[in-house]
Amino acid sequence: MENLSDAEYKSQVRAVWIATGWLSLITIIEVVIALIWLYVYDPEGNLNGTMKRYLLNAFFVGASLLKAYFIVGEFMHVKYETRALAITILAPTMFLIWFIIAFLWEGGAWLGMRNFWGI
Amino acid sequence: MASSSAVDAKGAWNGGKSPFNVSYGKLMMWYFLLSDAFTFSALLITYGALRFSAPTWADPNHVFNAMPFFPSLKAPLGFVSIMTFILILSSVFVVLAVIEGHRDNRKGVLFWMTGGIIGGAMFLGCQAWEWMHLINGLSHAHGMSFMGINFGPGTEDYPIQFAYLFFLITGFHGFHVFSGVCLNIWAWWNTYTGEFGSRNNHYEMIEKVGLYWHFVDLVWVFVFLAFYLL
Repeated sequence: MENLSDAEYKSQVRAVWIATGWLSLITIIEVVIALIWLYVYDPEGNLNGTMKRYLLNAFFVGASLLKAYFIVGEFMHVKYETRALAITILAPTMFLIWFIIAFLWEGGAWLGMRNFWGI
Repeated sequence: MASSSAVDAKGAWNGGKSPFNVSYGKLMMWYFLLSDAFTFSALLITYGALRFSAPTWADPNHVFNAMPFFPSLKAPLGFVSIMTFILILSSVFVVLAVIEGHRDNRKGVLFWMTGGIIGGAMFLGCQAWEWMHLINGLSHAHGMSFMGINFGPGTEDYPIQFAYLFFLITGFHGFHVFSGVCLNIWAWWNTYTGEFGSRNNHYEMIEKVGLYWHFVDLVWVFVFLAFYLL
């Protein structure tokens, strides 16, 4: 197997702990913002369905994708694999973009029909 | 005449070696995880579609506000944050085990794998508590039942799809955590007996098992997003 030199070993362990720090920090920020929103900004839930709430949700999605980057890139080692392997693994997930748009659209259309027919 | 350009040793794609520079087993683990990612995506997107189609939806800050040992405390996002940190740390321990494997350090692998196994078991314990609380702990007057099981958070305000999807998706994820813990224990034992150390590819099995374990952590990020944050 590869025989790691001490310097390589130290830099790898350091990179893992830095990624851990980022993951923890992002999670803490997400939870703190969610709690501020819940207790201070919108305790009555009046802003559900407004643009402000959608922006908050977009922030949560973005933060989760950033966490996914650290897990896949650092923990699962994709950052250090060959470019071809990274593309093989990551490119098919692009299908999910349309998968998400199509089915959320479908859900909204269902709700529209429910409201229209009163069921 | 017999010679051809097919034996150009410089091109990664001309045969004779892995163009991805990984072993067959590791590549297949990646392809399995990719297919599993689509399974989880389908489940979470189903959640999204049904949620968009429902006139009302459960308030996660109300449904998931319980904390073990503090029955009177209302702590939205409290317990699930603890679970998230347990799973992240467990993942970190397994990465460190993989790095120790690259150094052929059997004791280091055993040490960090032990941490990974304990973290996974703790996460499963937390999930068991949360399920028990949701099934039994909430008001029975508003409980809903499915196949004889009372699915706690069901009232007129909560569409029953919420409970179905919660138990289906966290259950499927929990099953992955359980099988991951089993694989980690198996890998720990084969490290302990020296089986991995005597193999030609040494501790590569720790990497493959570790990939699966990080994937479980990755899925949790999106389960946490869909059920608790959005």
